[in-house]
Amino acid sequence: MKKHRLFAAACVAGALALTVAACGSSSSSTSSTGGASSSTTLVGAGSSLVLPLVSKWVPDYAGKTDPPVTVTYGGIGSGGGIDAITNRTVDFGASDAPLSADQASACDNCLQVPWALSATAIAYNVSGVDNGLQLTPQIVADIYLGNITTWDDPAITKLNSGVDLPPTKITPIYRSDGSGDTYALTDLLSKISPDWKSQIGTSTLVKFPVGTGAEHNDGVAAALGQTDGAIAYLGAAYVSTNSLTEAALQNEARNYEEPTVKAISAAADTVKSVPSDNAISITAPPASAKDAYPLSTFTYAIVPQSSPKADALKKFLTYAIDPKGGQTFGPDLLFAPLPAPVLAADKSTIAKIGS
Amino acid sequence: MEAASTPANHPLLQGPPNLKRRRRVNRALEVVAWVSAVVAVAALFIVVASVFVKGVGALNLDFLTQGQVAFGPGGGIGNALVGTGIIVLLAAAMAIPIGVLVALYTSEFAKSRSASAIRYVLDILNGVPTIITGLFVVVLIVKPQGHQSGFAGAVGLAIVMLPLVARSTQEVLALVPSSVKEAGLALGVSRWRTIVSVIVPTAFGGILTASLVAVARAAGETAPLLLACSIFPTTTVTDPSQAMANIPIVIFQYSESPDPSKHTQAWAAALILILFVLLLSSIARVFSARVKKRLEGTR
Amino acid sequence: MEGTAASVGMTGVAPPGSGALGRRQRGRLDRIGDRSLYVITLAAALLSAVVLGGIGYEVVHGASASISHFGLGFITTNNWDPVPPHEVYGAASFIYGTAVSSFGALLIATPLSIAIALFLTELAPRRARTPIGTLVELLAAIPSVVLGLWGILVLGPFLRDHVEPGLHSVLGWIPLFGGDQSPVGLLPAMLILTIMTVPIVSSLTREIFLTVPKESKEGALALGATRWEMIKTTVLPYSRPGIVAAVILGLGRAIGEAIAVTQVIGGALGIHANLFVPADTLASRIASNATGAPTALNLASVFYLGVILLALSVIFNAVARLIIRRMTLKGS
Repeated sequence: MKKHRLFAAACVAGALALTVAACGSSSSSTSSTGGASSSTTLVGAGSSLVLPLVSKWVPDYAGKTDPPVTVTYGGIGSGGGIDAITNRTVDFGASDAPLSADQASACDNCLQVPWALSATAIAYNVSGVDNGLQLTPQIVADIYLGNITTWDDPAITKLNSGVDLPPTKITPIYRSDGSGDTYALTDLLSKISPDWKSQIGTSTLVKFPVGTGAEHNDGVAAALGQTDGAIAYLGAAYVSTNSLTEAALQNEARNYEEPTVKAISAAADTVKSVPSDNAISITAPPASAKDAYPLSTFTYAIVPQSSPKADALKKFLTYAIDPKGGQTFGPDLLFAPLPAPVLAADKSTIAKIGS
Repeated sequence: MEAASTPANHPLLQGPPNLKRRRRVNRALEVVAWVSAVVAVAALFIVVASVFVKGVGALNLDFLTQGQVAFGPGGGIGNALVGTGIIVLLAAAMAIPIGVLVALYTSEFAKSRSASAIRYVLDILNGVPTIITGLFVVVLIVKPQGHQSGFAGAVGLAIVMLPLVARSTQEVLALVPSSVKEAGLALGVSRWRTIVSVIVPTAFGGILTASLVAVARAAGETAPLLLACSIFPTTTVTDPSQAMANIPIVIFQYSESPDPSKHTQAWAAALILILFVLLLSSIARVFSARVKKRLEGTR
Repeated sequence: MEGTAASVGMTGVAPPGSGALGRRQRGRLDRIGDRSLYVITLAAALLSAVVLGGIGYEVVHGASASISHFGLGFITTNNWDPVPPHEVYGAASFIYGTAVSSFGALLIATPLSIAIALFLTELAPRRARTPIGTLVELLAAIPSVVLGLWGILVLGPFLRDHVEPGLHSVLGWIPLFGGDQSPVGLLPAMLILTIMTVPIVSSLTREIFLTVPKESKEGALALGATRWEMIKTTVLPYSRPGIVAAVILGLGRAIGEAIAVTQVIGGALGIHANLFVPADTLASRIASNATGAPTALNLASVFYLGVILLALSVIFNAVARLIIRRMTLKGS
C-alpha cells in the first residue's frame, strides 16, 4: 500500500513548493526569456486596433534588444487596456481613446503617448454589393440609431446610383466591450449629429439602441461575415486581412474616402499643435483636408509616470514611434506615419517616464 | 406497500379495461422514451463528431509543439498545452489535499451539526457560477499582485475543484466499513494513525477517482481563466507567477475569430480537450465502480 | 472480521506495550498527532467556509457604489447606458435574458430528462442501461467553451439558415418567432443550455426513480396496469419532489453559465418577446463587461449583476437542497 503514501506526499510537496514559488515569484523573472532581471518582459493590454502592428513589433523588438525583451500584448479592447493600467495589472495599456478626466485621475499620474495612427473602417456584408459603397457619417448615425433599417433606403441609394442595393434589413454590429473604435465612431457621430450627441454620447462603451454586440475587432469581423445585411465598424487593418468590403465615407470637403494611408495622413496633417495631455481628435477634419478620411484616429500607449520598468518602457516606446523602427511596419497594415508635431510631443513625454 | 385496500376509484380499477387503447398509449410513451434517449445520445455524438471531423485534420506534431501566432494564420497550441498542464496541476495540488482534509473533518472529527454546516458550505460553493469565482480571484490575487498569472488562474480552478473532491471523498469515506475503523481503535492505535494508515489507504481508490473527475472538470473551465489568465505571450511560459497561454482561453479567442484557419485550430484544440476530459471521466467511472465493489465486499 | 485487520495492511502496527517507545511517550505522541490532525482538517474546513464568505463579501463590496447609487430599483431598470452624464445601469434586461434562456432550456430539458431517466430505469434492456446512461452523463463532461464553439460555428448558422426561417414562416404570428433570422440570440443560447442541463436533471431523476419502492411498482403491475400506467401512478407521484429538486439544480447550473452563452447570445440590451434577436444574460454580461468598464460606477454595476446572480444561485441551491432533505427524511 505504498502508492497512497507517494501520492499524498506528492500532493503535499507539490502544494507547498508551488505556494512558496508563487509567493516569492512576483519579484523573480520568467524562465521563458532566460533573463535575470524582470525588465526583460513587458506586459501590455488594450486596443485591438493596434494589435496587428504590435504583433509585428514583438518579434522585431526581441531581435533588436540584448538580452531580448519579450513584449506580451493582449488585444482585450481599449477599455480593458485603460482598466488594466489603472489597476497596474499590466506594465503599459493601449487605447485608441484618450483618458477621460475621471479615468486620468483614477490612473494616478499616467502619461499617454500617441504611438500609432490609423483609422476605423465601416465595413458591410451585403450580397451583390462591392467595395466602396458611398456613405455619409449622418447615414451611419441613422443606421446605428435605428432610423435607417434597409439597404435600399433612399438616403443610401441616392448616393450610389450605380449600385443595386437589395431590400435586406440592416443589422448594425457594435462592440460589446470597451472599445477605442467605438470611441472614434461616437466621437465622429457626436460631432456631426446633435441627435447622436444627446442621445448616445461619446465613449468607449455606449448604449447602442439596435443591433448585435461582438467582442474585440476579431469578433466584429466574424459577426459581420456571419450575417447578411450587416454593417460594422472596425480597425482598418482588419478589413484587408479578412477580405471585407468597406465603405467610402464622405468627409467635410464632400469627397468620399476609404481608409488608406494617404487619406489617414491627410486627416492627421491638420494637427498643428499637440495639447499637453496628448489627447488628439482627428475625426471629421475641416474641409481644408480635402482627401482626409473622416474616421481616422490616433492610438495611445498609456504608461505610469513612475514605474519599476521605466527604463524598459522608455526604450520600447522609443522603438515604437521611431520612423525607422516600429513605424516601418505601419503602411502595410494601414497605419500612417506619425506627423512631426506628434512625434516631437511623444519624445518629450517619453522623457518624463521615470522610476 | 401499504396493507390498506385499494380505493374503488383507483385508476387501475376503472373498467371495463380498454386494453387496446391503454396498450397503444403505453406503446406511444415507450417510443417517446426511446426517442428521448436517442436524442440525448445523438446530441453527444453530433457535438463530438463535429469537433472530431473539423479538428482532426489540423492535428499534427507541428500544431502540438509550435506556439501561437499573434496575428494572422499559422502556429500551433504548444504553449497553450504546456500552460494548461501547469495550471491544472497547480490547481489539483491545492484542491485535492484540502478537499480530502475537509472530507476527513466532516466524516471523522466533526460533530453532526458542524459536519452538515460544512457540507452545506461545500454545496453552495459548488453552485457558485464560475464567472463569479473569476471576479473573486481578480480582486484577491490579480489586483494586489499587479498582473494576471497562471497561479491566479489555478486558484480559481482550485475553488471550482474543491467541493467536487470534498464531496466525492466524503462519499467514499462513508463507504469505508466501520469494522475497519473499529479494528484499528481496538488495537489501541491512535485516531490519527487509524486515519492516516487505515482509512485513507482504504479509501484511496475513491479519492483517486474523485481527483480524476475534478481534474477533468478543471481542464475545461474557462470563466475563471478569462479574468485571471487571458493576456499571455505566444511563447511557452513555465513560471506560474506569469500569465500563460491555456487551452480553454485559446479556444474561446479563436472561436470569435473571423479567420477560418483559427477556427480549425480551435476545433483541433477542442478535440484534444474533449479526448482528455472523456478519457479521464471514463477511467474515473470504471475505477469508481471497482472501488465501490471492493469496499462493499469487505463489509 | 478477523481477516479485516490483516487485509487492510495493519500488520505493520506494533501492539501496545512493546517496542522502544515507552507507553507514556507513545501516548503523548498520539495525542499530539490526534490534535494536529484535528487542527489541520478543521483548518481546511474553515478555509472552504472562508473562501465562500470571501466570495460573497468581495462581490457585495465591489458592488457597493452601484447599490448605494441605484438601490433596489436596479433590478427593475431596463437600461445599461455607460456614458456620463446620462449614465444609468439596470439589471432588468439581463434578468429577463437569464430567465428566458434558462427556463426555456429547462422547459425542453425536463420532459426530455424524465423520459431518458424512465428509459434507463424501466424500459431499456438491462445490459444497455449502463452504457447508455454513461453516454448521457458524458454530455455533462463536454467543456462549455467547446459547446460555445460548436454553437457559434455549427448551431448558429444552422438555426439561421434552416430552422428560424421555417419557424418564422409557420409560427411567425407568435411573437416568439416573429423576428428575422439571426445566428445569435436567445434561441441558440437556450438550446445550448438544454444540452448542458439534460445530463444533470436526467441523472438525478434517474437516481430518484431507483429509490421508488419495488413493492409499489409490482403492486400496480399485478393489478393489470400497463408499464406507463404503473409509472404514472407509482413512480412519478413518488418522485415528484425529487424531480422538482433536480430541475431547480439544473436551473441553477443554467443561470450561472457565462462562457457558452456569451459566445452565442449577441450581447444586446432589451426585453423582447422574440427569441431570434440578440440578447444578454447576467452571467454573460458580467463576462463581457468585467474588464474594460469605462467608469467606476459601470464596474460597480457589473458587480451588482454578480450579487444578483450569486443570490439567485444560492437560493436555487438552498431550495433544491431543502426538497431533497425533506424527501430523504420522509423516505427513511
